Amino acid sequence: MAIVLFVFGAFLLAQENLQNLLKKWGDQIQINAYLDKDLGAAEVSLLRDKIQNFSEVEHVRHISRQQAWKDFQAVLGAQSNVLEGLPEDVLPASFEIFIKPAYRDGPIVEAFANRLRKEKGFTTVEYPQEWVDRLSLMVLAVRWLMWALTAILFVAVFFIVRSTVRLAILARKDEIKVMRWIGAPEQLIQAPFVVEGMLQGLIGAGLSVLGLWFSLRFLRDQTPASIGLFGSLDRLQFIDWGSIALILAIGSLLGASGSVFSLRRFMRTWRG
Amino acid sequence: MEGVLAALAAAFMIELSNVSKIYPPNAAALKGISLQIERGECVFVTGASGAGKTTLLKLLCCEEEPSEGQIFINGKDLIGLNNRGVARLRQQMGLLFQEFKFLPHMTALDNVALAGLVIGAPRRESYNKAYRLLRELGLQKKCNAKPPALSGGEQQRIAIARALINDPMVVLADEPTENLDAELAEETMRLFLKSRERGTTIMVASHDLDFSQRYRARVISLHQGCLVDDSNPATKKGGTG
Repeated sequence: MAIVLFVFGAFLLAQENLQNLLKKWGDQIQINAYLDKDLGAAEVSLLRDKIQNFSEVEHVRHISRQQAWKDFQAVLGAQSNVLEGLPEDVLPASFEIFIKPAYRDGPIVEAFANRLRKEKGFTTVEYPQEWVDRLSLMVLAVRWLMWALTAILFVAVFFIVRSTVRLAILARKDEIKVMRWIGAPEQLIQAPFVVEGMLQGLIGAGLSVLGLWFSLRFLRDQTPASIGLFGSLDRLQFIDWGSIALILAIGSLLGASGSVFSLRRFMRTWRG
Repeated sequence: MEGVLAALAAAFMIELSNVSKIYPPNAAALKGISLQIERGECVFVTGASGAGKTTLLKLLCCEEEPSEGQIFINGKDLIGLNNRGVARLRQQMGLLFQEFKFLPHMTALDNVALAGLVIGAPRRESYNKAYRLLRELGLQKKCNAKPPALSGGEQQRIAIARALINDPMVVLADEPTENLDAELAEETMRLFLKSRERGTTIMVASHDLDFSQRYRARVISLHQGCLVDDSNPATKKGGTG
């Protein structure tokens, strides 16, 4: 069971880190809304306040024409001399609109962008649609993969515990028979097995968490500092306390329920 | 019909109606046994080996189920009793069979007291009573010994103490004095009869006819699974013998 919970924990770890990564990428999702050249400062301010009040919006950054020019120059770097001769107000002012995490889903972002397009004062509204769609798909895939694997793992753990408890019951068959002989209630006979199953589950889960921690440390020590897209492994985080508690609770629960199911079956078939 | 039988059965502590037990493939251990035993009655079941004495007791404590017929204990139909019902029934019974069924890792005192504890009796009370019974049976010096370290006779006395600790409604004893000397056999029977004074119904299976006659109790004789004699003329004879 410790091995199965270890795999489950490893998956939680991967999922948490992957979600952190996706969140970081998601933070970069922004809608660029280019402002009409004729808008005055007061109108820009009013429009900014209006956009800021939309429920989907995390914050709005106003990029003035001058700022846009500077940013463009910075992007071009050494090649910025190609801009010589152009007026500094050639680029339009814009709003960089950052979306709240809950709304970073392809269709929601698209619907919001369409709403912005209908606002007066914007000439063009654009966002990295393909990127948003891919990100949404990845989040969805990770979530579904987690549920599917979790279900498979739980079934596996349940059967493993059931078999283990069955062996324990067989080993203590005589003891159970004596207890029944003297009229012990079923709950009293079952209680030690349920507690034992629960403790086994808890210990297995604890071992899996420890194993996971050592594995992560080993991974950090033995792998190169950077692995491309995922950046540094030093940034990999161990599962949080909530997830540790979840693994321990699942271990205990599966241990106890495996015991109860095995016991029920055995108790039904035994007479005497 | 069932209601009538249940009402009739309640008048007796034990009632068997046309009970048979057939072990596969076709070995009949009991054939059409019908009998009634009143509350507080002491009954000896006699017969040679293989007569069906142990099977009869096993049916009464639900260790076996009859192939046919009905069994009532204190008006309760035992057929189809679930595990919870069996546990409740056994809490009201003192069982003493040839296989003693002890927890080997527990002491003699613990084994006896456990029978009190499982029915929810207070710990101190259970242990005091267990010690008193073991003392009466001459085992006060063996209280802390574990059953596997004791002789057959000593184990038998532990089982007797365990059977009596809860002042049971019914005592079912299979050859309870087999491993005991005459003095201890007398003491055991004295304990059984003492519990009878409190209203306990006692059924003792014994192949020793002289022993049963000494106590002037009702004697039910079995032969090859059939009831062949019942010293109580009010009781019907069953079976073919």
